[in-house]
Amino acid sequence: MITRLAGGRIYDPEHGEQGVARDLYVSDGRIVAAPAGGKADHSYDLGGAIVMAGGIDIHSHLAGGKVNLSRLLMADDHRDELMERGALTRSGSGWTTPSSFATGYRYAAMGYTAAFEPAMVPSNARLAHLEMTDLPMVDKGVYLMLGNDELLLQMLAREAPQEQIDDYIAWMMRATAALGIKTVNPGGISAFKSNLRDLDITDTTHGVTPRRVVNALARAVYELGVPHPLHIHCNNLGLPGNIETTLATIAAAEGFPIHLTHAQFHSYGREGDRRFSSAAARLAEAVNRNPHVTLDVGQIMFGQTVTASGDTMAQYRNRAFASPDKWILMDIECDGGCGIVPFRYRDRQFVNALQWAIGLELFLLVEDPWRIFLTTDHPNGGPFPTYPHLLRLLMDRDFRDANFARLHPAAQKASILPTLKREYSLNEVAMMTRAAPARILGLADRGHLGVGAAADVAVYVEDADRERMFTTPKHVFKDGVEVAREGRILATPSGSTHIVRPEGDDAIEGPLRRFFADHMSVGLDHFRLAPAEIEGAGGHLITQACRPRRRA
Amino acid sequence: MATRAITCPFCALACDDLGAAEAGVDTRGCAKAAAGFARDAGRTEHRVRGKPVPLADAVAAAAALLSQARLPLITGAGADLAGIRALIALADRAGAVIDPWQSMVLRRNFAVTQESGALTATFGEVANRADAILLLGGDPAPDYPRVFERLVDNGTPLFRSTPPSLAYLGPAAAAPRRTMAAAIHLDSNRLLDGVAALHAALAGRLPRDADIAGVPAAAFVELGERLSAAHYGAILWDVRNLADDGKAVVATVLRILRHLNRRTRAVGLPLAGSDNALGFVQALLWQTGWPAQVSLAGGAPEHDPWRFDAARLIAAGEIDALLWVAGLSHSPPPATMAPTVALLAPDIALTGEAAVEIRVGVPGLDHPGTLVRADAVVALPLDAVRKTALPSVAAVAQAIVESLGARA
Repeated sequence: MITRLAGGRIYDPEHGEQGVARDLYVSDGRIVAAPAGGKADHSYDLGGAIVMAGGIDIHSHLAGGKVNLSRLLMADDHRDELMERGALTRSGSGWTTPSSFATGYRYAAMGYTAAFEPAMVPSNARLAHLEMTDLPMVDKGVYLMLGNDELLLQMLAREAPQEQIDDYIAWMMRATAALGIKTVNPGGISAFKSNLRDLDITDTTHGVTPRRVVNALARAVYELGVPHPLHIHCNNLGLPGNIETTLATIAAAEGFPIHLTHAQFHSYGREGDRRFSSAAARLAEAVNRNPHVTLDVGQIMFGQTVTASGDTMAQYRNRAFASPDKWILMDIECDGGCGIVPFRYRDRQFVNALQWAIGLELFLLVEDPWRIFLTTDHPNGGPFPTYPHLLRLLMDRDFRDANFARLHPAAQKASILPTLKREYSLNEVAMMTRAAPARILGLADRGHLGVGAAADVAVYVEDADRERMFTTPKHVFKDGVEVAREGRILATPSGSTHIVRPEGDDAIEGPLRRFFADHMSVGLDHFRLAPAEIEGAGGHLITQACRPRRRA
Repeated sequence: MATRAITCPFCALACDDLGAAEAGVDTRGCAKAAAGFARDAGRTEHRVRGKPVPLADAVAAAAALLSQARLPLITGAGADLAGIRALIALADRAGAVIDPWQSMVLRRNFAVTQESGALTATFGEVANRADAILLLGGDPAPDYPRVFERLVDNGTPLFRSTPPSLAYLGPAAAAPRRTMAAAIHLDSNRLLDGVAALHAALAGRLPRDADIAGVPAAAFVELGERLSAAHYGAILWDVRNLADDGKAVVATVLRILRHLNRRTRAVGLPLAGSDNALGFVQALLWQTGWPAQVSLAGGAPEHDPWRFDAARLIAAGEIDALLWVAGLSHSPPPATMAPTVALLAPDIALTGEAAVEIRVGVPGLDHPGTLVRADAVVALPLDAVRKTALPSVAAVAQAIVESLGARA
């Protein structure tokens, strides 16, 4: 069966199309070439609407133990936001950390067809993946958190050769069905367990510096040919003056590709009367100068949310700002941690107001939309349904300035935001939220509308109010099936899980097996997640290709 | 056939070093595991009103019963994760209340997390780091037979150089059968006073001449100093050893942990969740947003620890259908006037007659599955070690959902 999406205007940056009026054809879940005579079995008249590939969220805490703990902690949030079951849909609850089905429905209704969980601790892999089989509508995948796992820290401390590091990373990614590697406060989560309360990038803990962790992981990911560069949550999150750490992290990678996540939280100076200032310009300048660096912003959005992070060291500090006043801290399995602190970001509060401005400064100062991604670090900066509001802030200068004028006066004085006249175009939005995320994750058939691409498509009716426009697409297609129309869910496919299976020398399994037997609380064979466990639970796996660059 | 390592599903420690071979399962000296792997597989007939029927007929009868009910309840214990996911889907479809059996016991822990938070660690962290462990309320070994072997006597920890020093606070009669470096004995109904005194001692607010449940203040001061001096202290309790005021005890323990973490590190390790109860809680959290005591009768998930407590609903006669699940536990359904669909492991004897009786396999014994460990972070794969034709809870629940769909 061939479906025609007729009369839309195509924004497909991967193919240089900016508002090109042409029909799109879909068959068997794929974009296909126009058939002879344009004949189709079924046709949608798009009436000049904007057509983009489905949105891709590169960093969204959507599953796993810390999300479930957040749900538990945010009981009022769940009580206030209830979703009834429908003929096709499951019931759900919650706004800041919605239940799994509700998460999928909301993403799809907003035109997003993929979202990636960025902080899976190795020991939680099985449970996180099984949870994601209950997250419908979108494709998904996980970044495995390493860099606080004692095994890697020991290897680095005894100066194990990089080949062994690579083999270990390859083994771990296969064992946990990961798509990428993330490091969170490298070395810092482990150090906090030994009662260190702060750790800068050149400090040594257990014989290792965070700098070394960053370098070894960035290199391993590069050498294994994992498409997504090392995803880095830098040391010193949230601290005034942390821009120096962030810039030092770029230097630590020594030219290996890296992705700086929720960069807004890592772009702080300590100037001014309040010893807290924007360093967005400095980070943007460094990113503009270093083509191997990408970033997502982690914009904060005003209102109630909850912050869920692997960074126990930072979250223990942040407990002082908990609103409501409750928080969770957990040390996990000699491989990670979890800290959960509810936050209410307020525009009349100096620090929050300036954080908001810093995020927007980053969006507007980083020049290449292929290298910057729209995130709120859901839910840490704000829940993902606020993306349309954020898009309007980026696309509509008057709207942005009007919001800026409501900020705490001292924050207004401390930001250059009003001098930034840039407005994102639809083409740039399509890059930042579709084409670029697909490229940086190595999803060859997503994020674009070329022949052979998966037919993940969002259709928006042009509206000067960009928030309204991006909140409720007219049609959303997932793998060629219309799944949402004007906010209503029409079908509930389960979505696929994207993974990589990098190749390494399996000889690493011997020492790994010994380490697990001696120290860990499960055996190696039971730590390792079999792909069949995900498939048996209803999941569908797609393996993305790696292009190894080592041992030529 | 060579021996392969398998996971034991019979307590929430989920020990994964048991050896399965042709000759049977090496249960590593654990009586609980030995009894579990020796469970009888004799009762395999499905029944409707006492008469043996094919599975499909039993499923259809269960669907009919649930679809006619105004307020069905799904409860029990002991399905694997796939079974639990399917049961919640069934509850959503049937508009039922769903609640893990005895969730009020689990609630002693999770209510404190809901209201105040938590400060905890997983098994691997305690086993590798804890240099001082305070055992609270009673011996955890009856419920968790290998707990000391796993967390205290492990031979090659990464970070501690000597075994942890153990302390105990709780009733003398329930004290662990181990040598304790310090012990404070008080009645179980005074445990709350005991932890409150410990908190006060840490905060320097306990009068020196105070007497708490017959224990002099100095003992609490000494215990506080012991925890303060530890590099990585752990407070461990079996939630079933707490009394009805257990929630207040857990809340006070959280305050103690917060106090200790100002200067050193300290964590809680609550032990709970046998029969995969924490798998139940985890799946409920992600599917509905609530941990337990959830009603899906109104279309959207509602949580109310009193209204939707399974035991209370049954006792008060507020339900008109019960779906009882016992795949891992040994429990026949509780007495109720409501017609009952019982999904039972093959060794459970029914005392009366259930409207519908469906025999299901034991996960980890009859079929593979997934089990969530007591720290709620680690889930382990379960194997099948004997051959039976019994369906899993997941298969039965899915079949009932399909049957309900066909009726709609």
